Amino acid sequence: MNTRIMPEFDLLLPETVEQAVSLLDKYQDKASIISGGTDVCVAMKSGYRTDFLISLAKISGLDYLEYDPSTGLRIGAKTTISQVLSSADVKTYYPALWQAASIFATPQLRNTATVIGNLLRASPAGDCICAVYALGGNIVLQGAEGQREVSVDEFWLAYGVTARKVDEIAIELNLPAPVKGNRSSFKRLTRTNEDLAKLNAAAHLEMDGKKCKQARLSIGCVAAIPMRLEKTEALLKGAEITDDLLEKIVTNVGNEISPIDDVRSTAEYRNQVAGVLIKRVITQACCKS
Amino acid sequence: MNNHDITLKINGEEHKVTVPANRLLLDVLREDLQMTETKYGCGTGECGACTVLVEGNKNICSCVTLAATMDGREITTAAGLEKDGELHPVQEAFIDEFAVQCGYCIPGMVLKTVSMLTENPNPTEEEIRHGLEGNMCRCTGYTKIVKAVQKASQIMAGSES
Repeated sequence: MNTRIMPEFDLLLPETVEQAVSLLDKYQDKASIISGGTDVCVAMKSGYRTDFLISLAKISGLDYLEYDPSTGLRIGAKTTISQVLSSADVKTYYPALWQAASIFATPQLRNTATVIGNLLRASPAGDCICAVYALGGNIVLQGAEGQREVSVDEFWLAYGVTARKVDEIAIELNLPAPVKGNRSSFKRLTRTNEDLAKLNAAAHLEMDGKKCKQARLSIGCVAAIPMRLEKTEALLKGAEITDDLLEKIVTNVGNEISPIDDVRSTAEYRNQVAGVLIKRVITQACCKS
Repeated sequence: MNNHDITLKINGEEHKVTVPANRLLLDVLREDLQMTETKYGCGTGECGACTVLVEGNKNICSCVTLAATMDGREITTAAGLEKDGELHPVQEAFIDEFAVQCGYCIPGMVLKTVSMLTENPNPTEEEIRHGLEGNMCRCTGYTKIVKAVQKASQIMAGSES
């Protein structure tokens, strides 16, 4: 890897989503899309190649973040991590996403990188991915044939692979409106603050007093794709959150995952710590008034 | 590979340049325009030596920014902070607190500090340290840099102690 050398490609700067879609339709898998480009530029310095790079830089109107109490949150394709961080609505109603944004990379990258870009990267270590997976929602994809929505539950298919077809552009993320008793939380473990996660986890709970009506738990860095802990969620459903239950959850999470050793951590560490991290995100979510 | 004719307004002055598609903003500044105050560090958006401000106050890494995507934008480099021969209060504070050792990270540190103090004029030490993430110094151990940011905050508030 030589970080001074960029490979050659044609840069295309469409001015509308329709133009971008028709370029994708024309070039198919020979084209890649960037908004901030923080990930693709680094990838290109370490071997990633594309014939055509389509930048969203000249398309206006995609950098919105709109919250409506009845329909939820809409995040556009060009909305940056910093925009998420400066939204009081996200902090109040989607704390897991706000917390993921607050520790995401560095201020410089938060100013350029987008939430949707992080989802499309489909890395199991993605912090926004982890939070969004727990929160649930849909990704709006636009192709030549029109728009379709894909649930986050069906979006990440393999390492680096999403349900987006090569001729589609992800134009929006929708997160559902919070219901009464709705709580969420995100946590990440790294060696240093700027590093990628050794483990990350998010909890999204629907509480009725001390009782948990519904739970969504997501965890990253323990499989090729971000993972939901459905067996552990079942333990929470309809149960009162007690210390005993939390200890049972710690054990259960260890049984539900099968992580690997890699540059950032070992399988042994992840197996030991994942349950504790899930316990902490549940506790943190519950502690929020 | 295609070329792009772009206009960048750098430190208040317009520059028209023709750049190949893969030209990074950092290389346009350093190589094409000979503005070497912006430094090349890691090249992967981690160390912050290449930090510039866009549209006034948005700090970004120019080493992972394609120049052609910045057409028409206003860029501020560390050299653009000086006004009429007077250093910016942040630059003064870095000198006063001896926050500079080898100096390589300092253009990025100074720009990050300007950006941080514009958004939050009176940050706590914790906020300063969180804000300086993304700018690495391998000499001073950050203590003096944090002090310089605190000093700059005081100068800018007009209550220098």
